[in-house]
Amino acid sequence: MSRTVTTVALLGACAAWATGSQAQALARAAAPVAPEKTYTIAVASEATDEIAIITFGPNGASVQAKIPIGLSATDPDGPHGLAVSPDHQFYYVSTAHGTPFGNFWKLRASDNAVIGRVTLGNFPATAQITPEGHLAFVVNFNLHGDMVPSDVSVVGVDDMVELTRITTCTMPHGSRLNPAGTKHYSACMMDDMMVEIDVASFTVSRHFMLTKGKEMGMSGAPAAMASGGQHDMSGHGMTAPAAGDPTCSPTWAQPSADGSRIYVACNRTSDIVEVDAASWRMLRRIPAGDGVYNLAITRDGTKLIATNKRGRSVSIIELPSGRELARVATQRRVVHGVAVSADDRYAFISVEGIGSEPGTVEIIDLRTLRTVATVDVGQMAGGIDILR
Amino acid sequence: MLRSPSAVVLFALSPLLAVAQSPAQSASTPAAGPAIASLQILPRERTMRARDTLRLRVTALDASGKPVPDATVRFFAAGGYFEGAVQPDGLIRSGSTGTMPITVSATRPGQRPVVEKLEIRMLPGPAHHITVGTNVGTLAIGQRMRYSATAFDEANEKRDDRVLWTSSNPAIVQVSRDGLASATAAGSAVLKATAGGITRDVPVTVAARRIASLELTPASADARTGDVIHFAARPKDAAGRVIEGLTPIWSFSPGQGIIGPDGGFVGYDQGTYTITASFGTQTAEATVTLAPRDVRRPLEVVGRAPRKAFTTEEVWLHPNGKVAYLGTGSGGDRFYTLDISNPQNPIISDSMVLNTRRVNDLMTTPDGMFLVNTREGASDRKNGIVISSLADPLHPVKIAEFTEGMSAGVHSAFVYAQPKFGTHVYATNDGTGAFHIIDISDPYKPRQVAEWRTQRPEAGRSLHDVDIQDGLAYLSYWNDGLVILDVGNGIKGGSPSNPVLVSQYKYDLNDLYRQVELSGGPGFIRGTHTAWRHRNYVFIADEVFPSSGVQGAKDASAGRAYGRLQVIDVSNYDDPKPVAFYEPEFGGVHNIWIAGDTLYMGAYNAGFRTFDISGELRGDLRAQQREMAHLNTGDMDGFVKNAAMTWGVVVRDGLAYVNDMYNGLWIVRMKPKRGITP
Repeated sequence: MSRTVTTVALLGACAAWATGSQAQALARAAAPVAPEKTYTIAVASEATDEIAIITFGPNGASVQAKIPIGLSATDPDGPHGLAVSPDHQFYYVSTAHGTPFGNFWKLRASDNAVIGRVTLGNFPATAQITPEGHLAFVVNFNLHGDMVPSDVSVVGVDDMVELTRITTCTMPHGSRLNPAGTKHYSACMMDDMMVEIDVASFTVSRHFMLTKGKEMGMSGAPAAMASGGQHDMSGHGMTAPAAGDPTCSPTWAQPSADGSRIYVACNRTSDIVEVDAASWRMLRRIPAGDGVYNLAITRDGTKLIATNKRGRSVSIIELPSGRELARVATQRRVVHGVAVSADDRYAFISVEGIGSEPGTVEIIDLRTLRTVATVDVGQMAGGIDILR
Repeated sequence: MLRSPSAVVLFALSPLLAVAQSPAQSASTPAAGPAIASLQILPRERTMRARDTLRLRVTALDASGKPVPDATVRFFAAGGYFEGAVQPDGLIRSGSTGTMPITVSATRPGQRPVVEKLEIRMLPGPAHHITVGTNVGTLAIGQRMRYSATAFDEANEKRDDRVLWTSSNPAIVQVSRDGLASATAAGSAVLKATAGGITRDVPVTVAARRIASLELTPASADARTGDVIHFAARPKDAAGRVIEGLTPIWSFSPGQGIIGPDGGFVGYDQGTYTITASFGTQTAEATVTLAPRDVRRPLEVVGRAPRKAFTTEEVWLHPNGKVAYLGTGSGGDRFYTLDISNPQNPIISDSMVLNTRRVNDLMTTPDGMFLVNTREGASDRKNGIVISSLADPLHPVKIAEFTEGMSAGVHSAFVYAQPKFGTHVYATNDGTGAFHIIDISDPYKPRQVAEWRTQRPEAGRSLHDVDIQDGLAYLSYWNDGLVILDVGNGIKGGSPSNPVLVSQYKYDLNDLYRQVELSGGPGFIRGTHTAWRHRNYVFIADEVFPSSGVQGAKDASAGRAYGRLQVIDVSNYDDPKPVAFYEPEFGGVHNIWIAGDTLYMGAYNAGFRTFDISGELRGDLRAQQREMAHLNTGDMDGFVKNAAMTWGVVVRDGLAYVNDMYNGLWIVRMKPKRGITP
């Protein structure tokens, strides 16, 4: 374990543009203001097998520690998903690579010590802990295996025991629980759908077809995973789709703050499908940036933040209007994850970089809609969450 | 590639049901009523017959021992995936003997799950047949022989019964309950092995001719430690005629070494050994005097190319011997070309930056016109392999890539040309554990011609490395051990487009590395990692890392590798046999290279090592003093300071090009044997 203090950057003039006149005025007028309190963020770097602990406070942003994670000293373990427990006492990291299965790790937030591990499926990725803190839902993305249906692992995190696997679809990807913790939504990247899991029964309760023009909600689990093997991986969201391609290629499912809506990022069509949770019907498609990828929502429910993987930017979308308030350019390429501070003030964005470029955490002030700090971390920064 | 419309059609046919979401209780709010305190699991006997079924019944109880009515109980297999299956309702279907770990959980909304782990032992069925391990049908009068036997059930599952022995004719052959037979008179008897209510007869003939003399050849021998000496026992009657068909019991003393049932002896220490062949009343002895093997050689570091920006991965030499290529890892997005025309001063001449975060393997075509490198960790996750033109070997130019179906990354790739079939890349798939064969006869248009994988559930299938010689591919298949495929040799009619299984050697990795689990915990890294064919042997090396490092330590002190090199005799592909091994006291065994009678090894923490592998190989190569040289490849200015992590080696013209993950390239020469002055 090493403790390093690296880039401290409070940016005065980051590239950002706002789509609304009010937002433009905000952006022009507001000078960067250092936060009054200190936020602590954890971000996983998939290429370097480490977790960076970052603080952002009155003195800017810096890496406080780098925590090595993984089993193999020589082969990449690939930390991908990262989730903090509701009580902020623990954080959990999924490592995607193995022989062939990946793992799910439990670390104590106070000293970053590993205190538990359980082996899950093929390429465990996005993870979230239920509100009461006892369960973790981890998608087994199976990015690198054959195009066959994969599943979502349910882990009892007190004992770090895998309780069950729920088969969903091909390449289950970005997933989130509703605020009540009763439903889990995950995107099926290769089946063009979203799947809803009933947390109480650990069963697939509904699914929703996302192909443009064919959107529809259905009950129960998908009848068949017929599209398995039919897909091009499309550079995992980095290759632009052909003109007119109606395929959604969903990469993230994000319930609204009250759980009444689910927003699904369509990476290929570069828009966001809004689904009514009660009627299970599509309400609208909200335009986003090129290759919209991960989503987060403020706790007050007024802003939807979307990373644009191909577009090298972050869209900040006003809810309920669906208006894009600003599209904030990122310093580096391959924009990945987003986490919003508990006070809704800042969005912390992980950016992977390409090749030997460092990963980056870029911090956006959600009032001024501007990037206020960036900090370099290990290559291929992905999973990100707020520790405190 | 566009999405197939057929999928859309299928989903459209699914029943459309826009259902109103039923009000759900918050998972954050504990459900009303008593909480689950414990689980009552029945049956209490945790055994079942293999290939049978067993239903577990579980009741969730509250603190007062009363059932909790709204608890949801689930059963989930926590291992034993190859031996059986567990249904969510608790029905266990056994497929074989073994142990089935099962997680039982009981949940209520908002409450911590109550979890219990249990293990069901799946036992063999009734005894069906007995096999005899001692293949000796003729005894000499006075000879004693220990017979062994094992009982199996109908499905050939081994049982644990103690086998009891009796003799049909104790006047001819007496036998103890444990199978120690004594031939007392000429004639015939049947030894009966009984277990689990069944019996197996073992006919034994006691030769009429008495052994009057016993000849052991060679009567004496002078050799070195590690040399295998084959002894033969020739019992003769009073007339001096050899009595055929008799088998002695072999032993030796003093000292360290091994002797097999075929009379093959190898000693580890210098000194004089007495070899004994015994027929009970007749014994013969021979003497072996072993001199030290004395193969130790001094080393000389000829040149260095330290690297520490990234970890250093594979090294490869151009056929011209003047250019080396060096991969990078741990976020490394390039490989380097080095001018090694003067080995004392290797110069980095160029680098190729690619969309990758690891170039784990690289290799040229035999004619040196092209280079193939692997990719892992590409930002677009396409990975696969990259082909470069070596029109100027010092300055490769990318001409093509192949990523189809290999998006997970390629860890290892072997380039191999066969006049009959052309040039192919034989590559591993990180994600599926499949073996891909890609035709690069036109390197600008690579195309896959075959894909092969071990027939097993996906769980645990992992392919790590490939070596090809004489049209046979030696696959290091991790949990599946060593797999040999015919990819053009013809022994099984195989070709690059039609690889055919020739042989497989599997072994118990968990048992072999028990000490790694004891030191670092379960779930550690271990598997068959690399292979190299040499004479009638295949040398295989395992990669082994503990699941956790030393608590409180960091950097070089935090962890270590383990591992064993095994020598597998493949004279008979139907019955590959392990005959020898090497295991360092500290460190692992990673990649190897064999030139002549010397094996060169990158041994991770154990540095760079070389071994004398001349002659027949048996037993512990380290104990036999076959190690020739050792270099600690640590460097104070390394990626990790002062720590060796030796990856592998390529040998050319008497120089060993040794790559170290932490420290870059070492160019090393083994110097002539140094004389010892008394």
